[in-house]
Amino acid sequence: MKRTDALTTAATPRHDPAPAGGVRGWLADWAQAWNEFWFTPSDPLPLAVVRIATGLILTWSCLVWLLDADAFFGPRGWLAPGDAWRMNDQPWQWSWFFAADGPDAVRVLAGIALVAAVLLTLGLATPVAAVVSLIGLVCAANRAPLNTFGLDDTLGMLLIGLAVGPSGERLSLDAALFGGGAGQGRGAPSARATVALRLIQVHLCVMYFFSGSGKLFGASWWEGTAIWGAAANVQYRTLDLTWMARHPLVVNAVTLATLFWEVAYAALIWPRLTRPLFLAMAALVHLGIGLTMGMMEFGLAMIVANLAFVPAATWRALLPDARPPALPVPRPSSPPPRTELA
Amino acid sequence: MIPASNPVAPPRSGLSRPVRWLLSLVLLVYLAGVIIAPLSGPPPASDLSQVILQPFRPLLGALYLGHGYRFFAPDPGPGHSIRWTITLPDGATLAGTTPDAERDWPRLLYHRRFMVAEKIAPLVPPPDAPAEVRARAKVDWLPLVKGVAGNLLRTHGGDRITLEMVEHYLPGPDEVAEGRTGGDLVMPLGTFARVASLGQPGGSLKAAGAPLRAEP
Repeated sequence: MKRTDALTTAATPRHDPAPAGGVRGWLADWAQAWNEFWFTPSDPLPLAVVRIATGLILTWSCLVWLLDADAFFGPRGWLAPGDAWRMNDQPWQWSWFFAADGPDAVRVLAGIALVAAVLLTLGLATPVAAVVSLIGLVCAANRAPLNTFGLDDTLGMLLIGLAVGPSGERLSLDAALFGGGAGQGRGAPSARATVALRLIQVHLCVMYFFSGSGKLFGASWWEGTAIWGAAANVQYRTLDLTWMARHPLVVNAVTLATLFWEVAYAALIWPRLTRPLFLAMAALVHLGIGLTMGMMEFGLAMIVANLAFVPAATWRALLPDARPPALPVPRPSSPPPRTELA
Repeated sequence: MIPASNPVAPPRSGLSRPVRWLLSLVLLVYLAGVIIAPLSGPPPASDLSQVILQPFRPLLGALYLGHGYRFFAPDPGPGHSIRWTITLPDGATLAGTTPDAERDWPRLLYHRRFMVAEKIAPLVPPPDAPAEVRARAKVDWLPLVKGVAGNLLRTHGGDRITLEMVEHYLPGPDEVAEGRTGGDLVMPLGTFARVASLGQPGGSLKAAGAPLRAEP
């Protein structure tokens, strides 16, 4: 099987320019690159890994919401329902919690989201669980905008991909209980899996691009001192990094490396040569944020999003019990199916 | 390798051309929404992005996609907390902060409460801001602060609460190395009392729903 990456798939035509040339040939190249990027069938195994990890974080988030559900979602909580428009774009940011008129209703609705998150993690009734999980997250975030942060943004992005794609076709109770074997095609490479993974990948690039370019406004990022601003903030701090005060060049190096990584991510995550470096840096940055700034859930969610860039072959090597996908029988006139994505 | 004689080879997706066209259209709309959201805010943002944003608002709202993604940008700033003093029905007082690193556990619960202070703080001008600026800003932050006051009164069963926004001093490396630090900036948010709870024994949850009266 030929290993490819997204750059060769999407950005570089893999054939000679059309004999017709000109604008039509150029447009045809674009059309083909677009179709290959989005619709080439791929193994849903990476999506299953993302599903399990996302489900675990979401389950934990739902449990924490429930610890103080009245304050977050109740009619007498941190933010009165009638004031949600002050922080949201109403009426578009609807929430089922707006209809909850008491503590019991609030807990039932928060409980539904928790059950959906557990089912998503287990991969049971996965398509329904993914959609309900997404609705639950959106409703929670829209009702409690005073209490949301990057974790919720990232979980939302991941859940959209999981709801769109066949995220329960591998590593799931659905597959174990109702799999039906390779002959029935469950877990086989599909365009849906590709669309779902691409949605996560592209969205992640957009996140990093705007986060990185937004930092270019800040003098502390150019001066290489921004990391100090995060390390010295006692409200965030969970690990004392004030020793960095004696090592300003270390602060500079960490700050500038973070800035370069984030600004360049959207371009350099795609080539095969630079991808491992950027994934490793993502793990370092997000684990660092999690450990030192007390935002482990956010850090883990971002790492999970980065897992969408890990090829299926890597997961098959790491998870030897993961049954290989059932490959469709190629038509005689078709090139062999490619199951590696990104 | 796709033969050059067939430069636009049919994709191996098994999807018909109309389905691919339809899916492509949906994807383009979705991606446009994903991009226009951070392009249109937070400020500075162009007028053009605001115009383009308008038809995408339902999509962004429904899927919770309206984010700016400016994590720790443009510069990591100081942290904030809300300091409160509650007067209980028996006249005793209770003091605390939101968030409270000692009591708000697990850490995710702390962070969700921390966001209350972090999201209200940018709306509150410093005490030395011109009176006109402070008056205009108060229209925005007062309803949010009333919600915070009501929730804390309900949680602790109090009758009256005084709130302050505390901006914690962010020391520079030199200051830390020399063992120096600066003072926090404190911005009064007001004193609030539960109007309907006065004279109502018990039933704090019911009373918590009563309108709050801001005291000068």
